[in-house]
Amino acid sequence: MASGSVEGEQSSLADDYDALISTTDVELLKRAWRNEKAAPEILRFESDLITRVREQIELMEETVEEKLTVGTDPLSVSLYQMDLDRTLFLLRSYLRIRILKIEKYMFHIRKTEELWNRLSKDEKFFTERCTDDLKKHLEESVLSKLPENYQSYERQSVISEEDDMVPEPRLDTFVLCRSKEYLTGIQLEDGPVDDRSKLFEMEPDVLYFICYKSIKSLVESGKIDLL
Amino acid sequence: MYGRKACQLVKEFASGEKGQLTPFNNDLFDQVVAECSQHHGELQSLIRKMQEEGLDVQTARNADHYGALIHLFSIVRNKRCLTAYVYNRAETIRNLLWKIGPVIPKEIEEKLNHWEEEYFKKHSAALKSYMSKVLVDLTVDMVPPKDPYIQVRVLEDIREGIVLSDDKNPNFARHSMHFLKRTDAEKYISRGLMEELTG
Repeated sequence: MASGSVEGEQSSLADDYDALISTTDVELLKRAWRNEKAAPEILRFESDLITRVREQIELMEETVEEKLTVGTDPLSVSLYQMDLDRTLFLLRSYLRIRILKIEKYMFHIRKTEELWNRLSKDEKFFTERCTDDLKKHLEESVLSKLPENYQSYERQSVISEEDDMVPEPRLDTFVLCRSKEYLTGIQLEDGPVDDRSKLFEMEPDVLYFICYKSIKSLVESGKIDLL
Repeated sequence: MYGRKACQLVKEFASGEKGQLTPFNNDLFDQVVAECSQHHGELQSLIRKMQEEGLDVQTARNADHYGALIHLFSIVRNKRCLTAYVYNRAETIRNLLWKIGPVIPKEIEEKLNHWEEEYFKKHSAALKSYMSKVLVDLTVDMVPPKDPYIQVRVLEDIREGIVLSDDKNPNFARHSMHFLKRTDAEKYISRGLMEELTG
């Protein structure tokens, strides 16, 4: 009996510890990074989180610097350095994935207000430059040489009724995801039409392989994590 | 056959190895462009003919209408192929920037046409300006770091422009081996001047 209660205490302590760890900025960044990596479209820029992570990186750099000058034992310095490098990698990779997505779908992002508003100030500036450069490149190499009615980079010809030449991310790809809580009432947007009226449920901490479109809004609101 | 040349152009790109460029096919490219003008001319003359016959171009469904449609679709198809060719090459060029940095080696430069070189320079400037604003170099640290230091071997003498984060000035002579910070070594590895020694 006694041992049981100690175990229970320990596991609740471990739970507390997990809960605490999962709210540190580095863990939050890891989550944002994983989501960004797995989502086919660009997600909202985590500007507050990134600002905090940057401050922490600066702090860590100062600590490492300080320890180096004081000359405390090299092992602990190297551990601090490793921690710093890992955080830096996460930050770089997060920003890089976003830039790669922007490069790939720049025209689509620029003309879709919802996506445009998800970018940071610097990313917006970058996207503007990118789209201008690529547009100019396409115009100079191809479009200016074509007959007058076919010179748009967005439309095949003047009689197209919508922008039919802009590459868009495929939102109907499948993603691996996990929910932290019990979710219900998810409308599936793929599969046979008869099945679509049935609502889908998600158990917490179970992995699902599901069409991104169906859970798009839940990823955006932070209820579901992608893997 | 209409559209065959454009198809060849796209096939040429698609059959190349991913991430590798073949020389820009100016010859075929210009031929497809010329084909577009030709189709356009014929399209215009068919429409004029219908107008002269007093037909409403929007609603008339005679042989000339369908003939004109074929020319229209041929132009549109050629346009798609031409744009796809340039667009996908541009994508490969952007990826080069990530793989080998802002300096293109001579053998790749020869494969680009004038506009593509311009585009590469401009895009690399845009990326550089973004990185200088966010104060993070995104071109290093491409793989998750296991250890902050790695063992490398120098493949070619590196004499100039050695910048390390610890302000030391090492002698990177050919075949010498060093224990460097990963972030410092990565730029040399990507340029083929060093190799990582594993296990």
